[in-house]
Amino acid sequence: MTLQEAQTYLLRRARERGVELEALATGSRELTLRARGGDLEEITEAESAGIGVRVVTGGKTGYAYTEELTPEALDWMLAEAVENAELQADTDGFLPQGRSLGRHDLLGEGLSAPVDEKKQVALALEREVQKDPRVRQVGAATYAEREHQTELASTRGAAGGFRSGYAYQMVNAVMGEGASVKQGYELKVSREVAALDPASTAQDFLYKTGRLLGARPLASGRYTAYLEPKAFLALLAPFVSMWSAKQVIEGKSRLADKLGQQVASAVFTLYDDPDHPEGLANAPFDAEGTPTRRVYLLREGVVESFLHNSQTARKLGHEPTGHASRSYKGVLGVAPHNLIVAPGAGVRLEEGVLVTDLMGVHAGANPISGDFSLQALGLKVEGGEAAYPVENFTISGNVFELLERIVAVGQDLEWSVIFLVGASPMVEVADLAFAGA
Amino acid sequence: MLNESTAERLIAHALAQGADFAEVYAERTKSRNLRLLDLEVQEATSGIERGAGIRLFFGTQVVYAYTNDLSEANLLEVTDTLARLKGGGGRVDARGAGGLDFRKTAPAGLHAPERPFEAHDKRWRIERLAEADHAARVGPEIKKVQIHLLERDQEILVANSEGVWNTDRRVRTRYMVTAIAENERGLQTGFAGPGLSVGLELFDLEPPAEHGRAAGEQARTLLGAKPAPAGPMPVVIGNAFGGVIFHEALGHLLETTSVARKTSVLTDKLGEKIASDAVTYVDDGTLPHAWGSSEYDDEGAPTERTVLIEKGVLKSYMVDRWGSLMTGYRPTGSGRRQDYTYAPTSRMRNTFIEAGDASIESLFEGIEFGLYAKKMGGGQVKPGSGEYNFAVQEGYVIRHGRVEEPVKGAMLVGKGPESIQRIVAVAADRKNAPGMCGSLSGSIPVEVGQPHLLISEIVVGGEG
Repeated sequence: MTLQEAQTYLLRRARERGVELEALATGSRELTLRARGGDLEEITEAESAGIGVRVVTGGKTGYAYTEELTPEALDWMLAEAVENAELQADTDGFLPQGRSLGRHDLLGEGLSAPVDEKKQVALALEREVQKDPRVRQVGAATYAEREHQTELASTRGAAGGFRSGYAYQMVNAVMGEGASVKQGYELKVSREVAALDPASTAQDFLYKTGRLLGARPLASGRYTAYLEPKAFLALLAPFVSMWSAKQVIEGKSRLADKLGQQVASAVFTLYDDPDHPEGLANAPFDAEGTPTRRVYLLREGVVESFLHNSQTARKLGHEPTGHASRSYKGVLGVAPHNLIVAPGAGVRLEEGVLVTDLMGVHAGANPISGDFSLQALGLKVEGGEAAYPVENFTISGNVFELLERIVAVGQDLEWSVIFLVGASPMVEVADLAFAGA
Repeated sequence: MLNESTAERLIAHALAQGADFAEVYAERTKSRNLRLLDLEVQEATSGIERGAGIRLFFGTQVVYAYTNDLSEANLLEVTDTLARLKGGGGRVDARGAGGLDFRKTAPAGLHAPERPFEAHDKRWRIERLAEADHAARVGPEIKKVQIHLLERDQEILVANSEGVWNTDRRVRTRYMVTAIAENERGLQTGFAGPGLSVGLELFDLEPPAEHGRAAGEQARTLLGAKPAPAGPMPVVIGNAFGGVIFHEALGHLLETTSVARKTSVLTDKLGEKIASDAVTYVDDGTLPHAWGSSEYDDEGAPTERTVLIEKGVLKSYMVDRWGSLMTGYRPTGSGRRQDYTYAPTSRMRNTFIEAGDASIESLFEGIEFGLYAKKMGGGQVKPGSGEYNFAVQEGYVIRHGRVEEPVKGAMLVGKGPESIQRIVAVAADRKNAPGMCGSLSGSIPVEVGQPHLLISEIVVGGEG
């Protein structure tokens, strides 16, 4: 059975059983090429697909999914979803009124280069990086691409789909100088294979990892932090759930009573843009078919909106914002598409620490309390410039204090896909706690 | 999932295309997840994952494909695509002509569940989880309790061109309790999350009331905690999940995935003294019903107990098939993957520091000022530089040999090879705890473990 046949089958069976049903199906394609020693070390090629349902019966919501598209598996899934719904206490569940959503192609010809050209990206990346004698080992030099077809259908009339995808190149290598050894990576993502440039990505890797060699301990203390774009996005990522209306309703967000209030510095603006010209996670509609639009989380430091799906919007009496998220395996959630830190007037280095990368984000940040303590890499800033690298230190504090202490925002956006999909300039934060030697 | 003749034709076809080794892995996994908030079901989902992965070796080159379509026609087509991508194709190997003589093995049921998931309905599960919810409410500060229940029943088949034909079944159950405490000083969370390779008998082996209370008490303790001190100091690390520090600082550095590429700082160090005498470090995939145990690994090799470090001397790495090919080291049954969408790589199973003979009290004696890291969160490492970090979930200041006030927000950072040299005393209370480990081949269940131990100096990141 194809995904569309499975959707049709499920809608028919749901109507027979008298339950409302929404079927979200995804077909994915992956190609990964990893170079080593001038040849490809690993090639992965795959196609996979799955379908997940949300059913509502008597106002109760249940979920199930399958990757086996036989009538038996689909019937099992439907029965499990109904049984799961019956466990729920909440009887306010519903499926939103759907409509025809159209067919959208957000990818176009972006990935259509011949395989040999893609191989050359991985091989060139390894070669370019190895030109620097300080590179001791290349862990991976990779070209990869991902393509997704998303299909939504519901008994309430939602019907439509879109195709999306991206290509990336990534290098992970160890550099050394004397006894000092650093491992780093550089990742560039684009919706166009043609936009990937191995030579410039190799240069970026060599510059960013090479500048950390010969690092010294950092004395504990409070410093001005100059957070590079990727480090700032990594720090922000675990706390984005505070804007999730689902977290607000469940009493797990410290922003719950802060709508319209100033919680961050007035130089700081944060918004979600599902239709950015360079967006890597653009989407015409969300996981339940609500059209997407730009939404401000913070405008000049003031909390302007939460992120909603149809359920959370109705519960809080707000408008849906187009942020329903769900994979076919998952349950309905709330998530941003492309999170953007609005560029500011610029940052000028004076005295402090330039933070280039953060580690331990999944364990060292608590999205409920707002507390964080994270391993950082970076350079000491003295006399208006990055003077020397420092290591073995952490930054810590509470995200609310940090947002208040933002004193300047840079002008140039840089994209990241590591912890969240988004873009940020450099961000300067006054008086942050650093622990080191 | 896959019949023998299909597997045989597939492997023969791959060899005929010039592959030196061919493997097919098929999987069908049923899973159920339940999320309760204050005992009300917020989300309930069930699912079937089913697919196959085909892996070919051309020399040390790995070519991998996966698909959900397990028909013979599709699998043969996928194999052709792989050979074409490889760029070779067309070379006919004599071995491809004949049939394969699979040496069939079935699991002995070493980790089989006593009470399978069908033994009780979902209401029964909720009643047992209610014991955790009630116990977590240790005071009026506990405002909310969230509980996740995860059930997985994974059936796998691995067949390869060396005649391996293994089936295995892994049944795993875990529940996770998060207690949320709030007072005028803010919000804090406490966590407990037992899990084993068992069925619903988990609720008897790991009583919900006990773990609920632990989560509640931790949240309440953290409400009163001050910011952690900062700087280098002696640290006593608690047992059980405390072992996550060496999972990060040491374990990942001993996987052939990075050793074979020489991107681990512990490459080429077999037989060398890399840790203090007090350290014996073991990775054991055979522990009965442990969260990271299985009878066979995801390459069809029997799992084993591997002594990695004995009294400070490096004895073995964790070796998968590709790692063995690259390094010549004996495979250790360490090839693991999240599911069919990943090719296997060398991974940890249940990895722990063996018990020593120091008394717990003696670890604290003589510490003028230090940190007691009683409960750990997760961490991360860069194998190429050995730089690691991990978060302290529940910590206390040590003053004049005594455990004093609780502190929050501590993170330990350092370089693995230096930290293991600084383990100066190890107690006798070794215990393991479950976690999920993310790496190249996805997120897999592992146990970490250790007794209480003392590290003479480590950098503590904190605000205080």
